Amino acid sequence: MSTVTAATKVTTIAARIKERAVAKPNVIALREKDLGIWQEVSWSQYWYTAELVGHALLALGIEPGDRVAIQSENRREWLYTDVGTVAVRAATVGLYPTNPVAEVSYLLRHSGARVLIAEDQEQVDKALAVADELPDLERIVYLEPRGIRYRYDDPRLLAWPDFLALGHEHRDANPGAVEERMAQTRPDDVVTLIYTSGTTGPPKGVMLTAANVEFAIHELVEHGGFTSPPPSSKDSVLSYLPLCHVAERIFSCWFGAGAGVCVHFAESIETVAANLHEVQPTILFGVPRIWEKIAAGVQIRVESASPVKRIVGGFWLRQADRLGGLLAENHGRHTPKTRLLYAAGYLFSYRALRDRIGVRKVRYAASGAAPIAPEVLRFFMGLGLPMHEVYGMTENTAVATANRPGRVKLGTVGEAHTGVELRIDEQTGEILTRHAGTFAGYWRDPDATERVIDPDGWLHTGDVGELVDGTHLRITDRMKDIIITAGGKNIAPSEIENALKASPYIKEAVVIGDRRKFLTALIGIEPDTVGHWAQLRRLPYSTYRDLSEKPEVIELVQQVLDEVNERFATVEQVKSFRMLPKLLDHEDGELTATQKVKRTAVAGAFAELVESMYGGGGR
Amino acid sequence: MTTRIGRPLLYTAYEQDMSLLNTPAKRGWTLILGLVAVSLPFLLQDDLLVVMATAFVAAIGAIGLNIVTGYAGQVSLGHAFFLAIGAYTAAALSGDPDSTRLIGFGITSLPIWLLAAGLVAGLAGLIVAPLAARLRGLYLAVVTLGLVFIGEHIFKHWRDLTGGVGVGRPAAVPELFGIQFAVDGATFTKAQKLYLLMFVLLVIFGVLARNLVRSRIGRALAAVRDRDLAAEVIGVDVTRYKMIAFAVSSFYAGVAGALLYVMIGFVEPGSFNLAMSVQYIAMILIGGVGTISGSVLGALFITLLPRVTRELPAVLPFISASSAAGGITVFQVETILYGLLIIGFLIFEPRGLFGIWIRVRNYWKSWPFSH
Repeated sequence: MSTVTAATKVTTIAARIKERAVAKPNVIALREKDLGIWQEVSWSQYWYTAELVGHALLALGIEPGDRVAIQSENRREWLYTDVGTVAVRAATVGLYPTNPVAEVSYLLRHSGARVLIAEDQEQVDKALAVADELPDLERIVYLEPRGIRYRYDDPRLLAWPDFLALGHEHRDANPGAVEERMAQTRPDDVVTLIYTSGTTGPPKGVMLTAANVEFAIHELVEHGGFTSPPPSSKDSVLSYLPLCHVAERIFSCWFGAGAGVCVHFAESIETVAANLHEVQPTILFGVPRIWEKIAAGVQIRVESASPVKRIVGGFWLRQADRLGGLLAENHGRHTPKTRLLYAAGYLFSYRALRDRIGVRKVRYAASGAAPIAPEVLRFFMGLGLPMHEVYGMTENTAVATANRPGRVKLGTVGEAHTGVELRIDEQTGEILTRHAGTFAGYWRDPDATERVIDPDGWLHTGDVGELVDGTHLRITDRMKDIIITAGGKNIAPSEIENALKASPYIKEAVVIGDRRKFLTALIGIEPDTVGHWAQLRRLPYSTYRDLSEKPEVIELVQQVLDEVNERFATVEQVKSFRMLPKLLDHEDGELTATQKVKRTAVAGAFAELVESMYGGGGR
Repeated sequence: MTTRIGRPLLYTAYEQDMSLLNTPAKRGWTLILGLVAVSLPFLLQDDLLVVMATAFVAAIGAIGLNIVTGYAGQVSLGHAFFLAIGAYTAAALSGDPDSTRLIGFGITSLPIWLLAAGLVAGLAGLIVAPLAARLRGLYLAVVTLGLVFIGEHIFKHWRDLTGGVGVGRPAAVPELFGIQFAVDGATFTKAQKLYLLMFVLLVIFGVLARNLVRSRIGRALAAVRDRDLAAEVIGVDVTRYKMIAFAVSSFYAGVAGALLYVMIGFVEPGSFNLAMSVQYIAMILIGGVGTISGSVLGALFITLLPRVTRELPAVLPFISASSAAGGITVFQVETILYGLLIIGFLIFEPRGLFGIWIRVRNYWKSWPFSH
């Protein structure tokens, strides 16, 4: 097991970026689309601004161990703040831009953040609404002045340029103060609090230390835990998932700091497809939802193309499926046969197709953060995308297992990284990990910490799994989500749900059946694809609810369900389903900020629907 | 810039976004096209090169007509008139000063008489322009039609300038940096030299026009075309921009007129008639209204068409090469073809050859989807 030699010399992301700024000052580090063009930031500019943020934080009296919160979409200032905060030995707390007021209040109070960087009026309003309950919050720095400047007169408000001006003043008065503070960094400094999304109960703040992050950068970036060869300054990524999530932080911040990867910020989540097409990144990470959506989009657009394109495109999509299957059998490596087939497909379809969806230059693609249906991965492998499912969680700094290039096993989350000890609990089947990236504990919640880290240092992940062929880890489900039917059968719902969600028409599927006689499901349709499907059939509809309750749509879902049911044993088959009358939403508490379904909340909110499937009181 | 290879849309500066060839692919293809065009004189027969050179000149004239008709939406049937002004200005300037029969000033330097031809024609356009400010559509067409007839009358009777009907006068003498283009040289033949000269001039005037129409002026012209009232409301000075359109268009016509007869070496006053105006309208309709590259395509098409029809009698026996042989002649076939092509394009592809190219390009650009 490799350990980080933390005691002697501590590197942080701040120190790494400073090094890059000296070594390659004019190489481009960040690009953000603003006013129609991709504005470039070099490494020296990156560090210059980040250091300025550090000085500004010092000017505001931030001490080592203090928390600095940021609630913003992905943009340059997010990284400046993160790096500047780490430089002055404080901890970054990321808030999702979609967090509603109640959660903002909870997160700010619980973390005790002294400074909040808020993106715009929307986020400032959320913070101001509860600011009086937050004694620790001293300053709110806003990035977009529109609607705030000249209208709000709260003394805590500070505009970003004024904030930087504070930094300028402080730097002129105390040159080198940030560097002095950086030199004092200790390996057990908490550099970030990452709040877990909390599918059950309130979010918990995971404390990651400087040593944790360094271990992750060492394993995942420098050691090439994901990509092969390891990432370099020739690579580029698109930053579009929330930076408060550990996965995006790895790809946007740590890949940049650790390997000099050029980061492009998408304009917003709606423009991801267009931005992907423009940026054509070489490394692409996505959550299952993103991959499912891209795959569904390809399917729909080929189906609705003109006749020749439909025939040719459809043919090569079927070949992609076959090709993906062949590649998966060979662990993602090409054989002469697949190479030949792929070359032909590349000429007729895949090159153009990959270009259109923005993945033509991708040399490494990964899916993580939630389980994904193997069919989706296979489809992308067939398109020639080196697709890898990876596994990790915030609590182990996302260092656990990954499918390595050329050693892919579909349906598994891959092999443990070199520096990782991994075992499966004999009794419960729970996956345990142990390495230097194991977090320091939950913020202000030692009881919860004790429950997940045992005295030997093993982290209890809460996932149930098994080893396939002794090397690759297959995850069954979250321990808490395992359904035990009235007949006493243990069933992993996520497998069934993902098989359903692999259909382009289904966006959400929640399988229910704990302590019940049989399994049922709540289904949410994908409005885009089903809407398109309805249009082709000249089926008029008004709202989402109207569409999902059409008998034809229900029949469509039934067909998907029948196909999926064939693949499962009788007890694992979904016997009945109901359509969700609305799109699940974060604001309504049905989804977490990362768009994961909160099962209990959904089952509670739609209890009547559930009961109707069990004949009123079918318990 | 290696980052943009394979990422044509990753604009990191406005200059990239706005540049004429804004993607690496466009730069590459334009280079290839340019190389092909430059190597043609060494691959083709001289007679075909002369036709090509004529087509390039016609393209300059078509660009001019497209600026006033395609971009600014002012129908003009008077293009032949402006071509004539350019032709005679150039011919007179470079004409033999000692001639007793014709006006001549002996200035054979190409830039001087070319510019003068353009300016004089442009001035004439400026004089006509106020009419356009008051008239629209059909009325404007009739007035410009009148120009052609007035022009025809003047040129037929001003013998000192034009030499008179059936006699004519020598065309402008092209001389640049001491090189005579209209005579065979030691290394290059006359046709090769003229081809290259006209190609370079077309590139220069084409790029200038392209830059004009994508600038503030071009946007104002398009606004006038789409709805003059609306243009006025959003602050476009309609009269001013109509005058600019006519002046620029006439300038281009003057330049084209000056060069058009250099290949044959002789100008005949009877040729600047309505048929010539219609021919230019056919060029822009078939090539593509409101596009510079369409003008070039249309000019090439219309100028090269006779070459193709001349071959017809060999293939189709019922078409004869001259009227003496009876039956239908190639000239009649040509006229019929013009008519059919214009009707066909207006019905099936109003955007012309350029529209067809756009359709083909979009078909492959959106592959494997439809949009």
